[in-house]
Amino acid sequence: MAESTSAKRSSRLADMWYSIYSNKAALFGLGFIVFLIITALVVYFTQLLGINILPYDPNETNMDKAFIAPCAEHWFGTDQLGRDIFSRVIDGTKISLSVGVAAVAISLSIGTILGSIGGYFGGKLDNLIMRFMDVILSVPSILLAIAFMAAMGRGLDKAVLAIGLVSIPEYARIARSCVVSVKANDYIQAAIVTGDSSARIILRHILPNITSPIVVRATLGISVAVLDTAALGFLGLGVQPPFAEWGDMLARSRSFIFSAPYTLIFPGLAITLTVLAFNLLGDGLRDALDPRSRRR
Amino acid sequence: MKFSKTKLFAAILAVAFSASAISTADAALSRKPQDNFFLATATDPLGLDPALVDDAESGNVICNVYESLFKFKEDNTDIVPSLAESYTVSDDGLVYTFKLRQGVKFHDGTPFNAEAVKFNIDRQMPENVVPKMSYASLVYGDVVKTEVVDEYTVKVTLRKPSTPFLHNLAMNYAAPMVSPAALKANNNNVNQAPCGTGPYKFVAWDRGQQVIVTRNEDYWGEPAKTQNLIFRVMPEASARVVALNNGEVDAIVGVDVNVVDQIKQAGNTLYSSEGMNVSYMFYNCRDTGTTIKLDKDVRRALGMAINKKELVETLYKGYATPADTILPTFVPGYSPNVKPLEYNPEEAKKILEQKGIKSLTIITYSGARAYNTVGGQVLAEAVQAYLDKVGVKADVLVYDWATFKAKLLTDTWDIGFVGWTGDNGDADNFLNLFSSDDPISNQGLWVNQEYRDLIAKGVSLKDGAERTKVYEQAEQILADDAGVYPISHAMVLAAHRPNVKHFLLHKVGNTYLDKVSKE
Repeated sequence: MAESTSAKRSSRLADMWYSIYSNKAALFGLGFIVFLIITALVVYFTQLLGINILPYDPNETNMDKAFIAPCAEHWFGTDQLGRDIFSRVIDGTKISLSVGVAAVAISLSIGTILGSIGGYFGGKLDNLIMRFMDVILSVPSILLAIAFMAAMGRGLDKAVLAIGLVSIPEYARIARSCVVSVKANDYIQAAIVTGDSSARIILRHILPNITSPIVVRATLGISVAVLDTAALGFLGLGVQPPFAEWGDMLARSRSFIFSAPYTLIFPGLAITLTVLAFNLLGDGLRDALDPRSRRR
Repeated sequence: MKFSKTKLFAAILAVAFSASAISTADAALSRKPQDNFFLATATDPLGLDPALVDDAESGNVICNVYESLFKFKEDNTDIVPSLAESYTVSDDGLVYTFKLRQGVKFHDGTPFNAEAVKFNIDRQMPENVVPKMSYASLVYGDVVKTEVVDEYTVKVTLRKPSTPFLHNLAMNYAAPMVSPAALKANNNNVNQAPCGTGPYKFVAWDRGQQVIVTRNEDYWGEPAKTQNLIFRVMPEASARVVALNNGEVDAIVGVDVNVVDQIKQAGNTLYSSEGMNVSYMFYNCRDTGTTIKLDKDVRRALGMAINKKELVETLYKGYATPADTILPTFVPGYSPNVKPLEYNPEEAKKILEQKGIKSLTIITYSGARAYNTVGGQVLAEAVQAYLDKVGVKADVLVYDWATFKAKLLTDTWDIGFVGWTGDNGDADNFLNLFSSDDPISNQGLWVNQEYRDLIAKGVSLKDGAERTKVYEQAEQILADDAGVYPISHAMVLAAHRPNVKHFLLHKVGNTYLDKVSKE
């Protein structure tokens, strides 16, 4: 019995993998994301050890080297304070990725729990939770994030919290609707009859069956979170200077759009490619996990 | 049901009326392009009552609508009579008698006379000062009383002799003469209903959009060349440049040094003049609200860590000069003999190590200012990098301008950045900042009695060798004791279309446009 389950599971994974593998766009997204993650991890750990593997220290200014156009020495050029843009863009990867993942982790965990509770128990509790989610949804998320930041102050940790909190309702809604449909299945009724506790039913029987839509949503959610981080950075609410963050780099370069466009193009490209990669992967995952579009 | 229909009708009417209000403002503009001069500025004026504002955007409009007893010459801060025809001073320097120009009328028809002058001065005497009259004490602080001698003669008595007094009377804040009738009709605040004697009169102000003024046909002097001036608000620096290059506006102020080439390539004219300003770093000399103890040695060491020459050259690309003193070189009282704090990172590192300074907090403003065109954040980051090189890690707190000014009083910080644009070309206008107990002027609350005595002495001396000597000593104390750290004097930059003639952005930072014309 146990063997057949694992075989089934692995065949499902293989199915999924095959589906993504045959989807060139999703494969590109996956490849790029893996590349980003490796870059971010390598940069992070080498910096912890005090080694700089980037061509230059991303935060070191060199006033006499300000605004050098891209060349062999500085691949992406240098900014107003003579910092190497290539090093800064790479360094910024770890901030954007970690904020994206952490924010999604917050919204995903809280949103799924709230949505499952609402969907499973129904009634007044459900109404209370979901109407509260509606209230949050009714305010544009970036505006809400700005309001959070204004109240809590500037900083990366607060940006994570703000971006995470504002996207809770999306996960809560998806989780709830899935739970409601899964709950109607006979095996849930059977579990209830056998006397399983509600927590056990939710954790053991319901959550495993609603992962696909949530995983898809989370992948797409990372791209939204990366974009929101950049937006907050652009508005001057993100990182503490001098740390490199793509949105912040973009904001400071915008007055040089005509005189030194490279200061703007590369962080902009980094944001675009990262968001694109997560979107492509998310789309691919959705196709892979959606039974209707699954290849036979 | 019927009632709600009436309401709806009323609402529609209201909308229609407000729409027509906007169109009347635009209807004032002539169809002939030569008759309308468009100037793009960064922000809305705070207001148009010269006694109640202190920002350059308000001054840009005020100097065209109002006049003071004196005015500055076009290319320097020497004063020439304007609404006053002549004046005499008593031998002790305490009593000024002004002969006023006759036959001048305010835009509302009120005659300009000695009563009007007395009304304007009395309005800003200490007992009548209301909040936001930030220049009242500078301009009229030494005035004891104002008397009307006859219709066109007015006598002002001072508490002590004051050299800047006449210069102060040429300023665009506090000094311009406002129609007493308009002040009475508007509850002592003509921010929305400006009424002066100047070459232009107020037409309309669409908040956040534009201010329109039109030629005063009854002007006593030479009438303005161009019929209408329109001050357009365009917050984004790059948007202003694009608007200029498209021909949407005729001139822009607040030019970023990085777009100079773009402006020139489009065939427009860059307008630059030496600015009467200084950008400086201040140290928190309070006992509380700091993370480190900023004694004299620490302050000096922090200054020595900064390579001012490199910093200024890189950031401002030649459109600012490194400041050795607070006073710009052309202001009377400037002395080249003041020895500034020299760049010496090794020494700085040694002292800071000795004192155990490893980290500190910088507070700064985000946007660009006339004296710092790259903005306070970039400047703070550049300094942060220099401090890093001498082993001090700095956190940077960045706020927008208004918040920054408030946070200076409440946040915990060690060093900060700000600047000053001179209003009247007098040395005292710069140097008295650091003898003040007001944290709005003396942000770090640096206190040095010797310095204060010199400033108090200098204010009553006539411009000349003795006064220069006093200010030289004061500047030397400021440099030696590291009260503040002067960084740069910025050039004043503006740009206009090639067909614009006689555009004047004065050293005091305001646009006098009565002679401007388009071909």
